[in-house]
Amino acid sequence: MMLSNVFFAAEPAQLFFGPIGLLSLVTWLPLVGGLIVLLFDKRRADLIKQFATVWMTVCFLVSLPLVVLWNYDVRGLQFMETADWIPAIGAKYQLGVDGLALTLVMLTTFLGPIVALCSWNYIEKRQKEYYALLLIMQSFMIGVFAAVDLFLFYVFFEVMLVPMYLLIGIWGGERRLYSAIKFFVYTLVGSLLMLVAVFKFYFTAAETVAKYPTEVKAAVEVIVGNNAPMRGLVLEGVELARRAGVAYAARAGGGSDDDAAPLGTFNIYALQAIGSARDAQGRALIPLSLQVWLFAGFALALAIKVPMVPFHTWLPDAHVEAPTAGSAILAGILLKIGTYGFVRFNFPMFPDASMHPTVASVMATLAIVGIVYGSMVALAQKDMKKTIAYSSVAHMGTTMLSLFAFNPNGINGAALQMLSHGVTSAALFILIGILYERRHTRLIADFGGVVNTMPAFSAMFMIATLASVGLPLLNGFVGEFIGLRGVFEANIVWAFWGTTGIILGAAYMLWLYERVFLGAVKNPKNADLPDLSAREWAYLTPLVAAMILFGVYPKPLVTFLNATTEVVVRQMRPNYFGSTTKAGEEQAAVSPATSDTAARD
Amino acid sequence: MAFDPDINYTAILPEICLAVTGLGVMLYDAFAKDNRRWAGPFVLGGLVVAAYSVWRWTTAAPGSSFNGMLVTDPMRTAFAFLFLFIAALSVLLAMPMFDNRSRNGGEYFALLTFGTVGMLLVGGAGDLAMLFLGIEILSLASYALAGFRRSDLRSNEASVKYFILGSFATGFLVYGMALVYGATRTTNLTTIRLVIQNGTLVSENLLLTGAALMLVGLCFKVAAAPFHFWAPDVYQGAPTPVTAFFASGPKAAAFVALLRVCGELFPVEAFELHRTWTLVLGAVAVFSMILGNVVAIVQDDVKRMLAYSSIAHAGYALLGVIIGDWKVTLFYLAGYAAITLGSFAVVAYVAGAEDNRTDIADYAGLGLQATGAAVALSVFLLALGGLPLTAGFMGKVVLFREVWQGNHAWLVVVAILNSAVSLYYYLRPVVIMFFEERPLSSDHCPELPWPLTTALSLTLAAVMYIGMFPEPLLAGLERTERSGQIATPTLRRLPGQ
Repeated sequence: MMLSNVFFAAEPAQLFFGPIGLLSLVTWLPLVGGLIVLLFDKRRADLIKQFATVWMTVCFLVSLPLVVLWNYDVRGLQFMETADWIPAIGAKYQLGVDGLALTLVMLTTFLGPIVALCSWNYIEKRQKEYYALLLIMQSFMIGVFAAVDLFLFYVFFEVMLVPMYLLIGIWGGERRLYSAIKFFVYTLVGSLLMLVAVFKFYFTAAETVAKYPTEVKAAVEVIVGNNAPMRGLVLEGVELARRAGVAYAARAGGGSDDDAAPLGTFNIYALQAIGSARDAQGRALIPLSLQVWLFAGFALALAIKVPMVPFHTWLPDAHVEAPTAGSAILAGILLKIGTYGFVRFNFPMFPDASMHPTVASVMATLAIVGIVYGSMVALAQKDMKKTIAYSSVAHMGTTMLSLFAFNPNGINGAALQMLSHGVTSAALFILIGILYERRHTRLIADFGGVVNTMPAFSAMFMIATLASVGLPLLNGFVGEFIGLRGVFEANIVWAFWGTTGIILGAAYMLWLYERVFLGAVKNPKNADLPDLSAREWAYLTPLVAAMILFGVYPKPLVTFLNATTEVVVRQMRPNYFGSTTKAGEEQAAVSPATSDTAARD
Repeated sequence: MAFDPDINYTAILPEICLAVTGLGVMLYDAFAKDNRRWAGPFVLGGLVVAAYSVWRWTTAAPGSSFNGMLVTDPMRTAFAFLFLFIAALSVLLAMPMFDNRSRNGGEYFALLTFGTVGMLLVGGAGDLAMLFLGIEILSLASYALAGFRRSDLRSNEASVKYFILGSFATGFLVYGMALVYGATRTTNLTTIRLVIQNGTLVSENLLLTGAALMLVGLCFKVAAAPFHFWAPDVYQGAPTPVTAFFASGPKAAAFVALLRVCGELFPVEAFELHRTWTLVLGAVAVFSMILGNVVAIVQDDVKRMLAYSSIAHAGYALLGVIIGDWKVTLFYLAGYAAITLGSFAVVAYVAGAEDNRTDIADYAGLGLQATGAAVALSVFLLALGGLPLTAGFMGKVVLFREVWQGNHAWLVVVAILNSAVSLYYYLRPVVIMFFEERPLSSDHCPELPWPLTTALSLTLAAVMYIGMFPEPLLAGLERTERSGQIATPTLRRLPGQ
């Protein structure tokens, strides 16, 4: 249907307000709000709270046209914007979203007002700085997903750490200092190593495209399909890289140095095209050994973000010490940047390295260890927040495992899991925050029988728990089901271990629920807890509504994600869909007909 | 043969302006009655005039004057702007120290002005003699500045240490110059280059020995390991505004000297010499980075920590010298100078009237008491560590890209790993300022005096602006390069190229 026809060039959605595009507006509006908050008088805390929440809501409403105006007939990027930024190194200010990025941008803007609203009572000191940082953080997170330039992405990716670091370090729990520094140093070391890989790939890409311009242009076609403006954007990047490569070659050959400085490109899609291009024999243009190194450079930074075992140790600390909103943002959005990076960078840019049996099995093994270990440790926790933190390790393990199935089901399922985990884990952290505000403890042993005093709250928690467990008709199910089916198609042993995650997940979540909510009220302090207030209803309702809505009717999400997924799979496995017909590709994602038999064509 | 003095007043107009300013300040100092509070603004005025006379170079054709002693090329112009910027900020930083009661502000600003003259001369040196002259003018002023708090023992110690070690280093420098003269029979840098390219050296070993000795002298000035031992003590002991000047001005001047010397003594065309030289410089750079960053971790004094960090940054900037690209080196140093001057502005503010509160523990709770200064210092520290959206990151990216392109990828890897290490100690003051909520006594945080506020705003704006929009600066450097192709004689290439 929508992807099949590459011959009719359809216009991707655009919306400009003067020189500012819609996506720029969505990206920078929160930052503007943050700067406005800084001008407020710090004693007027109520006004600051209300302003920040209203501003976040406005930001969410401004982002809605991204979905409303979306053109479903176009593959790839929409709402593209481009401007020169640092011509001296070839970095550009380029924004744009494809299906995957769009859903993640929407997730970010959706969680924005919710995390602002849930902090009203929780944050009792320095509200002005808190809400300013929350808004600034929001801008950087949206920027990470909206950036089409690798350099711009990297800037957002790193600078985002600063507000998060301050959120944990100032408003966190008792061990906040340790956790904040651990979080910062861990993620920063990873991203600096990624910077080395970015540099290397930037130069290698230029040299490669100078040697094989036609092959790269063919690879561009796979990415852009019928999207004419995007083709222009990507080809421009490829051309810049080619010129740079020619200049390097001339320089190495002893030629003159007098030419204008070579620029190169950081355009993500141009780099994808170069990384995924293959010559006539089907070999990748970049040698495997180099690909593996580059893959490792990117993968380390992203695996720390995800986090994968054994790089996960920052996560429980950061989650537990962070304020509620910080945990919700961490679990809801920051972790997704890791998996997003794998889909956006590692898979298309270094396909042979990703698909290499050793690499894939190492990654899958780490993911499985994450699932099993994370679930086991979650079972043993005494602190509710820690249980959810370790469940994040397990869930993200499942997501990574699904990704490394390398088929449409796996990647679609992983993307759906990213979204559903974003909503569910954020909801769980916020719910625990509500309990903490009332009792100032998060220890499971301090509770019991909460359902008697807070029935509405318990119902909400139940829905979130079941969504996390993966009950059908709630959002968690769809992603896990599709994703694990993708894993089954790829490797049945992996799938077996992946499924244990679901079983163990049901165990620790339901056991947690039983201990906290069910039974009689043992602790007299729990006897007269007030149920949900109007404000709490206001921010829990959208979360629960989203869980139910996308559990019952996930098709809109699948439609968005499928376009990206198909391109990624094509880049990695050119023959996966067969070379003959493009009909029925939509079914590839949701029907078992395209199993690995198709891959053998 | 008629002797032509080849006088070109345009080429030394900034130096003349500043020399006159310095003398004027001294006269003012001699005749003023109660206080010297107009000395600072007077010097600022002189710097503005000097900046205008530098601006006039941008349109003039490049060339040399005074029989090759001074070279006026884009590199000199660009660095002259940087030196004047550093001098102006140093003046602003020093002004609160000489408040209405002070009776000795005049000589301070005079010394600073003369030091700036020295830096400007180094930037334009086309001859080893001029290079030496510039460095000595700068150094003598620096020795006196380091000991400016006469009643403070640490300041005296810093001055004596700096003087003795500095004289020793200058001795190395002069001896090296003598050997280079012996090897090439000239002190003119362009002629030296011609001699090397034509292969008519008296002795290659003599040249290398001389160059190595010169390197010792210059590395001392940039505070690169293993010639860094003076830096922590002097930085700690000298008055904070002076430290700010040391960490930015003389360092940048020494880098110009290195760029001038390395570019001419070891041109890329002289293949073997160039390779040997690159290896030596690479070793010094790596050693500086590692030593600076590792030792900085254990420092408890902010000034000492910044001293070791400046050693590490000398290592990064040396990468620019290795590839012989003055533009990226300047870009890096400009960002570094703005960051350093800004962070020392905060240090000077926290240090207080007695200039002795420099322990990291003294910063506890600054985030609550003086939020503006604390935020500024945090930005500067993160910029030193290389976080995006700051000049520190942009400088590193632009520099590392060129170095990588120059086939020194391993140096880039070492430098990036070092940046990762460095963030650990840069974060410590940030943590203490914002996360430790110990209330301070109210006398600890007086109002920020206006010169410091101005300096902080200027540096903060510069750091953020360069970090977000580096293009105007980079394009400006690129343009000067294109308009100013300095007339170097074309030469035959040596075999091996």
